[in-house]
Amino acid sequence: MNTFRNFSYLSTGLTYLLIFVGGLVRVAGAGMGCPDWPKCFDRWIPPTSLEQLPDYIDPAKFNIVLAWIEYSNRLFGALVGLVIMVTTFLAFKYYKHVGRIKWSVLAAFFLTLVEGWLGSVLVDTVLNPITITLHLLLALLIVMLLLYAAQEAYYLENPDSEKMSRYPSTLKWMFIILASILLVEVVLGTEIRGGLEMIREDNPMVESQFLLNMLGPFKYIHTILGFIITGFSGMLWYRLVFGSKNPSRIMTQISTAILGLVLMQIIMGELLVFLGVIPLIQLFHMWVASWILGLVMVQYTAWNQSQLAHE
Amino acid sequence: MNKNIFLITICIILLGSGASWVIQKANSSYELTIIKKVPAFSFITQDGLSFTEKSFDKKATVLDFIFTSCAGPCPIMTNNMMHLYESYKNVPEVQFVSITVDPKIDNASTLKEYANANGVKDGRWQFLTSDIESIKELKKNGFMLYADELPRGHAIKFVLIDQDGQIRKYYDGTDKASMAVLRKDLNNIVNEIQS
Repeated sequence: MNTFRNFSYLSTGLTYLLIFVGGLVRVAGAGMGCPDWPKCFDRWIPPTSLEQLPDYIDPAKFNIVLAWIEYSNRLFGALVGLVIMVTTFLAFKYYKHVGRIKWSVLAAFFLTLVEGWLGSVLVDTVLNPITITLHLLLALLIVMLLLYAAQEAYYLENPDSEKMSRYPSTLKWMFIILASILLVEVVLGTEIRGGLEMIREDNPMVESQFLLNMLGPFKYIHTILGFIITGFSGMLWYRLVFGSKNPSRIMTQISTAILGLVLMQIIMGELLVFLGVIPLIQLFHMWVASWILGLVMVQYTAWNQSQLAHE
Repeated sequence: MNKNIFLITICIILLGSGASWVIQKANSSYELTIIKKVPAFSFITQDGLSFTEKSFDKKATVLDFIFTSCAGPCPIMTNNMMHLYESYKNVPEVQFVSITVDPKIDNASTLKEYANANGVKDGRWQFLTSDIESIKELKKNGFMLYADELPRGHAIKFVLIDQDGQIRKYYDGTDKASMAVLRKDLNNIVNEIQS
C-alpha cells in the first residue's frame, strides 16, 4: 500500500515538473519546434544537424534548440504517462474496493492520454490558443486527482491523524469555490498570455508594457479575481488555523503555504505588469498557480478526514 | 521543516536557472546567415517607377514571386504577405516586394489593380514586373529559386533580405508556423537597422 502512495507522490511530483517543462516550451516559443507528431522531423530522436533532415521537410523549419525543447516535453510526458500507468495499476491492485482512489487515479491516467492527443492537436493547429489552455487545465486536473488519491490512501492508513482536530463543518463549499475560482483565474491568465501574443503580432517592435495596455478588460478581471482569491484563502487560513480546535500540523502548514503562495502570485503578477512580461516570471507565475491548486486539494482532504472522524 | 524549505529553495533556484538558460538559448537560436547578395536588376513597380537592388538599402525586405491570375498557392502567399504588411504598418524599416512571374499579363496596371484589391495603400508593398527573361534570370540565379516553367512552376518561398541587399533566409510562404519564424527574424533585422 505504501508502494501505491510512493508512486502517486512520484506521479504528482513528475507531473508538476512536466507542467513546468510545458510552460517552458510556451515561454521559449518552442511549441512548433517539431512540425510533426509524435515524431520530430520524422525521427524518434530529433535531428542534431541539417544533414539528418528528411528531404521532404523544408530545412528552414528546423531550429535545433526549439526542436529539442519541444521534444523534451514529449519525452518527459511519455515518462510521466508510464509512471501514472504504474500508479493506476497499483491502485487497482491495492484499492480494488476503494472506488474514490481507484477511479480518481484511473481518471488521471485517462486524462494523461487525452493530454498526449491534445499535444498532437496543438501541432496540427499550429498552437491553437484554446487547445493550449485546455492542455494546461487538464494537467492541473491530473495533479489534483493524483494528490486526492494519494491523500485518501494516506488517511486510510492513518485514520487517526485528524482525530484531534475540529474544523468548522461548513467549509466544504469554500474549498469548491476556491478551487473553481483558481481554475477560472488560470484560464484568464492564459487568455492574457494569448492575447498579448496576438497583440504583439500586430504591433511588432513595441515594448511589452505598452502591449499590456492594449489588452482588453479581462486583465482587470484577472487582478480583481486575484484579490478575491487572496480573501478566500485568507479566510480559510483564519478559520482552519485559528477558528478550529487542535488543527493538525499539516492543516496549519498547508493553509499557511497557500496564503503565502497567493501573496507571492500577486507580487509576481505586479512584477509582470511593471517590469514587462519577463518569460521566467511568467513561467513561475503559472507554475505556482498549479501548486496552489494542488495544496487546496490536500487542504480539502485533511478537512474531509476530520469531518469523517467525527461523524 | 527548515531543512525541507532549504531543499525546496535550492530546487527552485536550480529549476529557475535551468529555465532561464533554456529561454536564453531559445531566444538566440534564430540564426540568420548571409546567403548571398541580390545581384543588380532594374524592374518597374505597379506605379511605373523603377525598383532596383538599391531599393533594398536600409530596409528589411520580404520578397516573393507570384502572378495575379494564379489560383494555386499565390492567394495563400499573398494573404500571408498581407497579414505581414498590416502588422508592420508602424515599422517604416520593413518593406514587401512581390515580383510577377507572368509579365505577359501582369503589366504595371494589372499589378496596380492587384495591389488595390489586396488593400495596399502605401509604398511599403511594391509589385514588380519586367520582361520574362530578366525575371527568370533574377529568380534562378539571383535568388536561386526554381524558374523553369514560368509562370506555373513558381516557388512558394518568401525571401528575407537585409538592409545591405543580402539574402538572409527562405521561408515556406504558405505555412503558418514559418510565418511566426519570419516575424522573429524580421524583428531581429529591424533591430539591427535601428541600432
